[in-house]
Amino acid sequence: MTRLAWTVVAGLAASTLASFPPALAGEEKEAVTYLPSSASPLVALRFVLRVGSQDDPKGKEGLAALTSAMVAEGGTKEFAYDEILKKLYPMAASLDGACHKEVTVFGGVVHRDNLAAYEKLVTAMIATPRFAPEDFERLRSEAVDYVSKTLRGGNDEELGKWTLQVELYKDHPYGHVDRGTVAGLKSITLDDVKAFHKTHYAKPALRLGVAGGAEKGFLTRVETDLASLSGKAVAPPEVPRPGRPKGLEVTIVEKPCESTAISLGFPLDITRHDDDFYALAVADSYLGEHRTFNGKLMQDLRGKRGLNYGDYSYVEDFIQDGQSTFPVPNNPRRQQAFSIWIRPVPHDKAVFALRGALWELNRLIEGGIPEAEFEATRSFLLNYSKLWVQTLSRRLGYAMDGAFYGRKDLVTELADRLPKLTAKQVNEAVRRHLKVSGMKVAIVTRDAQALKATLEGNKPTPITYDTQGTPEDVLVEDKQIAVYPLKDVTVKIVPVEAMFEK
Amino acid sequence: MALRIGWRVAFFSLALLTLGLSGSALGEDRIFPYPTRESRLGNGLRVISVPFESPGIIAYYTVVRTGSRNEVEKGLSGFAHFFEHMMFRGTEKYPQDKYNAVLKALGADSNAFTTDDWTCYHMTVPASALPKAVEIESDRFQNLKYNEADFQKEARAVLGEYNKGASSPFLILDETMQDKAYTTHTYKHTTIGFLADVKDMPNQYAYSKTFFDRWYRPENCTIIVAGDVSHERLMTLVEKDYGGWKRGNASVEIPAEPEQKEERSAKLKWPLPTLATLYLGYHIPASDPRNPDIAALGVLAQAVFGETSPLYQKLVLEEQSVVMLVASADPRRDPSLFTILARAREADKVADVRKRIENALADAAKTPIDRTRLEAIKDHLRYEYAGSLQSADAVALAVGSSIALTDRPDAMNELYAAYARVTPADVQRVAQRYFASTNETVVTLESEPKK
Repeated sequence: MTRLAWTVVAGLAASTLASFPPALAGEEKEAVTYLPSSASPLVALRFVLRVGSQDDPKGKEGLAALTSAMVAEGGTKEFAYDEILKKLYPMAASLDGACHKEVTVFGGVVHRDNLAAYEKLVTAMIATPRFAPEDFERLRSEAVDYVSKTLRGGNDEELGKWTLQVELYKDHPYGHVDRGTVAGLKSITLDDVKAFHKTHYAKPALRLGVAGGAEKGFLTRVETDLASLSGKAVAPPEVPRPGRPKGLEVTIVEKPCESTAISLGFPLDITRHDDDFYALAVADSYLGEHRTFNGKLMQDLRGKRGLNYGDYSYVEDFIQDGQSTFPVPNNPRRQQAFSIWIRPVPHDKAVFALRGALWELNRLIEGGIPEAEFEATRSFLLNYSKLWVQTLSRRLGYAMDGAFYGRKDLVTELADRLPKLTAKQVNEAVRRHLKVSGMKVAIVTRDAQALKATLEGNKPTPITYDTQGTPEDVLVEDKQIAVYPLKDVTVKIVPVEAMFEK
Repeated sequence: MALRIGWRVAFFSLALLTLGLSGSALGEDRIFPYPTRESRLGNGLRVISVPFESPGIIAYYTVVRTGSRNEVEKGLSGFAHFFEHMMFRGTEKYPQDKYNAVLKALGADSNAFTTDDWTCYHMTVPASALPKAVEIESDRFQNLKYNEADFQKEARAVLGEYNKGASSPFLILDETMQDKAYTTHTYKHTTIGFLADVKDMPNQYAYSKTFFDRWYRPENCTIIVAGDVSHERLMTLVEKDYGGWKRGNASVEIPAEPEQKEERSAKLKWPLPTLATLYLGYHIPASDPRNPDIAALGVLAQAVFGETSPLYQKLVLEEQSVVMLVASADPRRDPSLFTILARAREADKVADVRKRIENALADAAKTPIDRTRLEAIKDHLRYEYAGSLQSADAVALAVGSSIALTDRPDAMNELYAAYARVTPADVQRVAQRYFASTNETVVTLESEPKK
């Protein structure tokens, strides 16, 4: 049997978990992350494959995601999908699949009473899918519906975020929605899926993670049950350095809606592999920590002005986990982007909100983080990041991500690095990597032509409040924000019906 | 901060985590595997600790048994949720910036949410921060102070929250279901409130003081601390900081919903292509597991609509006319709804889907469920609960949900004991009792025809 080998980042050191407390420390083989906890009645499994939407052939965008759906929501050679459901149901277990840009992750949490039966089923789902035509039709239709109905017509925030992603990575392997394009999905055949699985679901591309109440011998059993996977992996595609936006390159998606959703950003040259990432993580937390009131964007746009529900910033791709707050593990990427998410604002305040975000970012770049704020933010991140790994599955996911970047898991890296970091280093990293010009902007709104004219004309957009008692210092800032220069603006308008078509 | 709302459709994905309806540790007697300790201060404040292995971390929850259910005054729907936002606006001792700075220094994960029945303030912090958590939480619950300008700005953040949800068809589906199914009870409006009332919130500063005075009182609240905590230490701190909190005496009469006597319906249009949706609601009793119908309805939802049900397998897997099929005996403090949501690929299939659903319910009333299948459902419910209690936060939430619905911290044990007792005849009985067309509300949504 060929042993599983993780070859994603050739030449980089394997992850270690040395700085976790002893209770959490686990053994790390090069392809396997094992975090045993004999007290736990639960076992978390993660199978991370080095294949993602970047591997979609041109014209068949969505193939990687559809293949992962055929694994996680389809039958096996032995059992049809309805039989799989009947077997998983009494365990209250599932094999959850998610296809991201660079990896596909399958996982589940199961009570150890059911571990043996679960393991047999899920390894068969991964290694020997049924590829039933009826599963294919169902799952392809679901994907087409997701792109053409849910994304276009049922969630403006997601629509804005995906528009930004696609625009950031034009003519690049990252440049389409992971679930696919409408035309791409319609052109995929069942044979395409079979062939993709055969070539891309290979042992050298697979990394296994097990945490909780499983014996060590369990790992060997999993490896044995995945033995039929190919021993030869397909190399991931090259990812060229994405083009740098010039000025403000705005895409307006026009649709009927009651408020305007905005996302903006630009490609970054750093990832968790780079030292500057950790300095930027502090700056980002100060500017816009996700779903907290710590960020300046949140405090100033929502707190002081009541513009919307929330405003956040990110220094790597951020996928929200339902209602939860913490970053989802196992979405590693060789290329990252900086982005700001402005949640829906009233139409008449959209440009003011955009200007406000740029003004806030500019203040960070020009003025840096004050020393006291730096200390507070560093302290916050050191404590807060420990909450990201409260469950077995999350702890496992973070440990596995460390290997991708040739680093320890993110929580350990932050714990090691932040105490040594200075405000000066953070501010220098900010000036090296962040900027207010050279930005892609995605806006989902109703009256695109009027918005286009305002943006291209760099027209002042003073804010009028329908609330009383706005403090004088806020009103003074408002005057600056209302005329914050929008330089070198180019605008294209896309009707929502055309989004993600091909 | 805040600001998760327990809308019903969002609930489908959360349901078994947030209801205290999920199952654990596979012991027959007590599904909730952790010992709890409970004390009550002289002012009525209840304090519950749930110590278990959670090295260095605690979840600190404050449960206020007030939700949108309590909004009896006309024009003031959504106020419980709005007030949840205001609770982050500070006190004299800890103005908003200082309160946030304390949380930031602790690295706290802190937030709040409001549902139909309760408002929950929660934070996950290092166990060593317990004294600080008690201090800042007791301070804001007793000494909240905000000015009208802050109040008005926050009202507009709430409108922003409404707007962010409005691009999804589920908001209007929920609003319409509640508006149609209820004529009298306050469940007629969703937690975020009628849009007209949300828009008018900046004008209700004076009422906000009444609201705080009425509901933010010790006898209406419970502190739950789960994880690395000692009950004795907790009580020493709580007595010191919450002991002076004055008991209230307010109550409002929440009008009972009269029996529904005719089918009700509404047809909605969506301006863009969308999956055609059928949303059915049937009145059921309040979610107290002492009523055996509650467990039986929970089993019925799984039996008729779960992923292994014949209906799901036929509509979703075989014919593929339906993309989503879910049902829930919605857990509420007062009499509630059993809801069924089906999303069909084509609008012209909706009538057939409805007929098939009604036939499946009629069949469940006529034919007893196979015992093997009944056992599989019971296993599913228990293991699902076991998988849900993975963190201090999840454990505190389970106890909080139980209190919110029943005023008892251990109703999940009663519920799972009741599940264990459900017989095929019980499932038949509830299928016969609740699904008459005179008890039915039907909401459909489909795309507007192309112009």
